[in-house]
Amino acid sequence: MIKTLGLEYFKIRRKKIWIMIMLFLGVEMLWAFISINRSIASNPDQAIWESVIHTIASMNGLFIPILSAIIVSRICDMEHKGSTWKMLVTTNVGRGQIYSAKYICANSLLLYSILAQTLLMVVFGLIKGFPGAPPFELLIQFIGGTLLTTLAVTALQQWISLAIKNQAFALCLGMLGGFIGMTIGLFPAAVRHIFIWSYYMDLSPVTFLYDEHSSSYITQTVGSGLVVAALIMTVIFYVAGRIHITLKEI
Amino acid sequence: MTTSAIVQTQKLSKTYSGLNPVNKVDLRVQEGEIYGFLGPNGAGKTTTLKMLLGLIKPSEGTVKIFGESLNKHRLSILQRTGSLIESPSYYGHLTGLENMKIMQRLRNVPDKNVDEALRIVRLENQKNKKADQYSLGMKQRLGIAMALLAFPKLLILDEPTNGLDPAGIGEIRELIKSLPARYGITVLLSSHLLSEVDQLATSVGIISEGSLLFQGSMTSLREKGSTTIYLKTGDNPKAEQLLLTQGYSPAQSESRLGFNNLGDANVAEMNKLLVENNIPVTRIEEQKKSLEDIFLELTGKERSL
Ligand SMILES: Nc1ncnc2c1ncn2[C@@H]1O[C@H](COP(=O)(O)OP(=O)(O)O)[C@@H](O)[C@H]1O
Ligand SMILES: [Mg+2]
Repeated sequence: MIKTLGLEYFKIRRKKIWIMIMLFLGVEMLWAFISINRSIASNPDQAIWESVIHTIASMNGLFIPILSAIIVSRICDMEHKGSTWKMLVTTNVGRGQIYSAKYICANSLLLYSILAQTLLMVVFGLIKGFPGAPPFELLIQFIGGTLLTTLAVTALQQWISLAIKNQAFALCLGMLGGFIGMTIGLFPAAVRHIFIWSYYMDLSPVTFLYDEHSSSYITQTVGSGLVVAALIMTVIFYVAGRIHITLKEI
Repeated sequence: MTTSAIVQTQKLSKTYSGLNPVNKVDLRVQEGEIYGFLGPNGAGKTTTLKMLLGLIKPSEGTVKIFGESLNKHRLSILQRTGSLIESPSYYGHLTGLENMKIMQRLRNVPDKNVDEALRIVRLENQKNKKADQYSLGMKQRLGIAMALLAFPKLLILDEPTNGLDPAGIGEIRELIKSLPARYGITVLLSSHLLSEVDQLATSVGIISEGSLLFQGSMTSLREKGSTTIYLKTGDNPKAEQLLLTQGYSPAQSESRLGFNNLGDANVAEMNKLLVENNIPVTRIEEQKKSLEDIFLELTGKERSL
């Protein structure tokens, strides 16, 4: 397993995946920090850690599905392009093993992105002098929720990317997911929980509460029901994709 | 056909929506031979070879390789098998050497195998170029090097000289020829070129429209090309009658009389008989059926090759 995983990292050299990740993260963080800066300027109460966690979590609903689609598509497309899948599966390495290696590889890249995000959030908060020390508990929950949602999204993306040669489908799905993730606040709760992309917001430890005269950030304990739902989706997408791809004729 | 068969299939078939691109094929590939799997385009060669490697599942029939069932021992069989199916596989953004390194790690073989395989296919000077920049022939060589990397017991090559220039074709053929003796590799190669199989193979299987029409040694295929003796006389009908009374029945009797498988003595006797009966013999010709004739006869195909 270590060997096949190592191979996946070897194969993505010169694919410029890192540059793409940095560019994407850069845009997202810049956008988020500018928008937080603005809202702090109009309302100094917003200068708290919760605001940055909430803003990033909601923007992740847009950015990470697309980033995941791109990364997974890069990792899978190279097997289509040189028709190397048939070469891989005629060595004595199991097909399932290659599938897992790709999955772990993609998610590890996304985990780095999430950790980098968190680090930037802390730096931003410290520079802006948010009250109190960085809220590690919230940040850990943020990382956990984002990663869990990403695991499911990536499983779905990998299935599509390997099943359909034309990567336009996978990238469209990523964009559709990003669109749903961004607009999910407009959907009623019963509907939004069907879509995995809504979980970037829903698994965030901070939520934004409107009432008649004010609005405020409150920290929430994420319901275990949602965590279980995300886990189930991860397992379903992963297992279905893996079975489909390993049984597929070449 | 009693020695150990490296590849043995039984009633191997593949059905796609009612059509049978491969129909009840019983392949036998013996150890140490170069088996030429010959057939016109679309005959079912690739489909058959894919089933041998477990890339696609047979609709019917069984595959045994190294005497073991492919269903049960797929990974252990694949470990001892190298293959190149249809177009060569490569990572275009990686160099030839990096492509080989990937295969090396999958196959768990030492560095010297990489060097040797690259040397054998003469890519050692191009190994640091990206595979995307390779010509089709170089990609094909890379594919062969990757298939050869572990110096497997069985090498399955699907149309290995496709896309090569004439010089490259000659080189690769020499290479394939040397494999059984040098490395103890049994080679199963497919081709739509009779001349290629003729030059390379020790055994041959001829497939057309999914059915195996002939299987055996190259020698036994050539023997099918029996010689025919043609006689031309001053009076063919009379000559035919006379010869019939002596037990010579012509296989053909138009402008000339054709006889199959005659010995020299028989020919002399016939000639004497005719001359003694005052029938002038104007021509005695010998004609040998070419391999191509045999092949065309078997496949019933016009020169679609
Ligand atoms: N996946 C498939 N679906 C339907 N028909 C197929 C498929 N693969 C191959 N065939 C058909 O099977 C026949 C044999 O193809 P193939 O094995 O590639 O021939 P060859 O390699 O001898 O040229 C062809 O007529 C082809 O159209
Ligand atoms: Mg073919």
